[in-house]
Amino acid sequence: MESAEDWLVESLRLYQDFHAFDLSEATRVLEWIDDKGVCVAGYESLKKNEILHLLLPLRLSVKENQGLFPERDFKVRHGGFSDTSVFDLKHVLDTRLLVTSGLPGCHLHVWQVTEDSDVIQAVSTIAVQEEEGSLWPRVAIFSSMAPGVLHGARLRGLKVVDLETQKTTYSSGVGDSEELSSLQVLDADTFAFCCASGRLGLVDIRQKWAPSENAGPGPGATARRWCAEVGGRHRGPGPSIASLGSDGQLCLLDPRDLCHPVSSGRCPVSAPSPAPELLRVTWAPGLDDCLAISGFDGTVQVYDATSWDGTGGQVEPVFTHRGHIFLEDNQTDTAPLVTTHTWHPHKPRTLLSAASDASLHVWDWVDRRAAC
Amino acid sequence: MPEIRVTPLGAGQDVGRSCILVSIGGKNVMLDCGMHMGFNDDRRFPDFSYITRNGRLTDFLDCVIISHFHLDHCGALPYFSEMVGYDGPIYMTHPTQAICPILLEDYRKIAVDKKGEANFFTSQMIKDCMKKVVAVHLHQTVQVDDELEIKAYYAGHVLGAAMFQIKVGSESVVYTGDYNMTPDRHLGAAWIDKCRPNLLITESTYATTIRDSKRCRERDFLKKVHEAVERGGKVLIPVFALGRAQELCILLETFWERMNLKAPIYFSTGLTEKANHYYKLFITWTNQKIRKTFVQRNMFEFKHIKAFDRAFADNPGPMVVFATPGMLHAGQSLQIFRKWAGNEKNMVIMPGYCVQGTVGHKILSGQRKLEMEGRQVLEVKMQVEYMSFSAHADAKGIMQLVGQAEPESVLLVHGEAKKMEFLKQKIEQEFRLLPDAKKPRLLHGTLIMKDSNFRLVSSEQALKELGLAEHQLRFTCRVHLHDPRKEQETAMRVYSHLKSVLKEHCVQHLPDGSVTVESILIQAAAHSEDPGTKVLLVSWTYQDEELGSHLTSLLKKGLPQAAS
Repeated sequence: MESAEDWLVESLRLYQDFHAFDLSEATRVLEWIDDKGVCVAGYESLKKNEILHLLLPLRLSVKENQGLFPERDFKVRHGGFSDTSVFDLKHVLDTRLLVTSGLPGCHLHVWQVTEDSDVIQAVSTIAVQEEEGSLWPRVAIFSSMAPGVLHGARLRGLKVVDLETQKTTYSSGVGDSEELSSLQVLDADTFAFCCASGRLGLVDIRQKWAPSENAGPGPGATARRWCAEVGGRHRGPGPSIASLGSDGQLCLLDPRDLCHPVSSGRCPVSAPSPAPELLRVTWAPGLDDCLAISGFDGTVQVYDATSWDGTGGQVEPVFTHRGHIFLEDNQTDTAPLVTTHTWHPHKPRTLLSAASDASLHVWDWVDRRAAC
Repeated sequence: MPEIRVTPLGAGQDVGRSCILVSIGGKNVMLDCGMHMGFNDDRRFPDFSYITRNGRLTDFLDCVIISHFHLDHCGALPYFSEMVGYDGPIYMTHPTQAICPILLEDYRKIAVDKKGEANFFTSQMIKDCMKKVVAVHLHQTVQVDDELEIKAYYAGHVLGAAMFQIKVGSESVVYTGDYNMTPDRHLGAAWIDKCRPNLLITESTYATTIRDSKRCRERDFLKKVHEAVERGGKVLIPVFALGRAQELCILLETFWERMNLKAPIYFSTGLTEKANHYYKLFITWTNQKIRKTFVQRNMFEFKHIKAFDRAFADNPGPMVVFATPGMLHAGQSLQIFRKWAGNEKNMVIMPGYCVQGTVGHKILSGQRKLEMEGRQVLEVKMQVEYMSFSAHADAKGIMQLVGQAEPESVLLVHGEAKKMEFLKQKIEQEFRLLPDAKKPRLLHGTLIMKDSNFRLVSSEQALKELGLAEHQLRFTCRVHLHDPRKEQETAMRVYSHLKSVLKEHCVQHLPDGSVTVESILIQAAAHSEDPGTKVLLVSWTYQDEELGSHLTSLLKKGLPQAAS
């Protein structure tokens, strides 16, 4: 394809590094296992799906003499098979365990990755009390001496289950049937939730349910669905919660006052998103106030929140990754959709992104604004 | 049940020494004869003593097959044929036959001249070895003897690389060597028909990898070259004559055109001559299907790429030069390297593996001070880049090939079995999803074609219709037993013993003294010379082969002592 060649030449100045891979099946999951590998998993409903633990090419991990490492490939370190689709996968820190969730949403699956074999073994299942038809439980992990799995499809079903004993150690205990969009563990006692409606909350599990929360975006909000992420410096001052709406609205909030966004902007995306469940917003671990969003089309956009005026007007990304559109191999009618993305834990401008055509990209974008 | 035995002599436990012994239908074939590039002593050669235990190699092996010219697949060939001793046929494709001796000679020179090795094969040995080569064409069925036939399939990977099907009667094995399932600019993708071998043997070093796209590799190459040229540096790319060089030239030419770049690109003349020769070889070797998939162009008709002259190396300003040989061990590429190494703006891009002892190998290991002839020390300040352009099949590629050939079984040749469990399960799941009805089963029957009528009938029916008598095949074996008693008593002992041991079978003692187990007949006779020994004649039909063999082994163990 002519435009693919053009884009590749363009890419020489847009990216420092760029890798493009073809997985055997598309993934909605990109979960880091330490900083050398990621897990991906298939999400088809009618067949066995693969769960893969991939090691990054060595040259992405070394700091010096990169030129002497010709290996550019991912290594499949471990693989396993899941009978159900996998929509979310979490690694239990400091263990060899993974927890997956998908449809049907009546069970979470626990897997083990062993050292002496390359097969990911199914270990156990955690029953999810509330069966919800087309809803599937979101998952987050409380990692500690006795890891607990926080899960739920709705606020009322939110529970923390001890991974080993399978006993419920926390329960929201509310009757609220609002659908959950994301869950995130912040520390040993706190987690954040975001509902599909945009309602956000921070919960302390040592107390009876009393989240500090907002009621959701005000009147005039056009988004049908929201997702959110809490950034790394959520204990410090300044906005550290980002919430993204399916209409392209991006709000930044301070955890101390969830009712009044500190800043907001409208991203230039084709709204509404064709797959609002795939919406994703992430904070860059290595760059201050930088965010990435995906789920609207075949792009990933990077924003610098400090450059906004914050009043809700149109904002421009500092970088847009278009690789999934231009390098698409099969000439199908439907353009690929980015299903998920993640930042590299310590290489500041490196991201991984996956799309519906089973492509997986690793890219390191050039910040054109940086004074040379 | 066909019995096919596979013994990896190298690369089974150690990636880097490809050499696999296959026994099929009574024939013995050696697949590849490579050397391990990481060792300097005998460990670099496969262990042939395993085969020579059985006598002379020439008597034991029916043929040797070499898949392609890489040293880890053919590097031990002259050692094997001339120093260990083998005079039988060695099969390979035409391009492999043309290129192998050149690489072997290069390698020999490095080993003997650069590293001072003593017990190494000589130039004459390489020549003598190549005289034993029989070149084959793609898809040509070659009769090695009355029963053994082989056929080569296109493997991609490098010029002349082939996958081989080895067939004896209805049993067959396919050996892939190294192959690649994604086409690149000058080589097509591997291809095989639905030949349904009993066994597919595939190299699986890269089976557990997911390859970065070809475009990104090319991008990386262009980026490196561009960066060096932009800062006024000179780029040296040492290459072996064909394939990669042409591909990289096409790439640079396209890029230079698009970006309107002015820096000159040169290729050394030695390269052109060799390249044209190989190019012609290549064209005649590939078939129509493959010719369509690579760029048809006159080898060095480039707009931006010119022939190199030694004097140009001293010209100021940026330039890119393709020069031979590929490992920087001698000749023009080494000369240019010595001139440019001291400037940090310059760059050398090594496009492949370098043998130990070469300058290429040293700089790729990170060495920055090199001792040259006359004790001169060369300080390497230029940027060293290692780019891997060779193509191997990854997990996806292996699945594709298995899907094409539809083998009954797959053998993954790799260093560590426990790292292959996932791929094993993946292959099993993917290709045994079909219900049993589609699984191939052995059918004994006769196809009768009369007029335009076809009928498949049982053998008995066919014999009756054709008025033929059925032939019975019986096997007979002699087992010697120490027993001084009379034959009848020995027979009795045999009967009692077998009756107690083979409870699931029908064991009978007939009035004439013979013992039967199902349809198998055992008779005891006296030994003609030794009265203390009895000879048991065991005879069975072709259909009872398995039981017959089992029975024979059982009897060879001897009879229990009779209770007194």
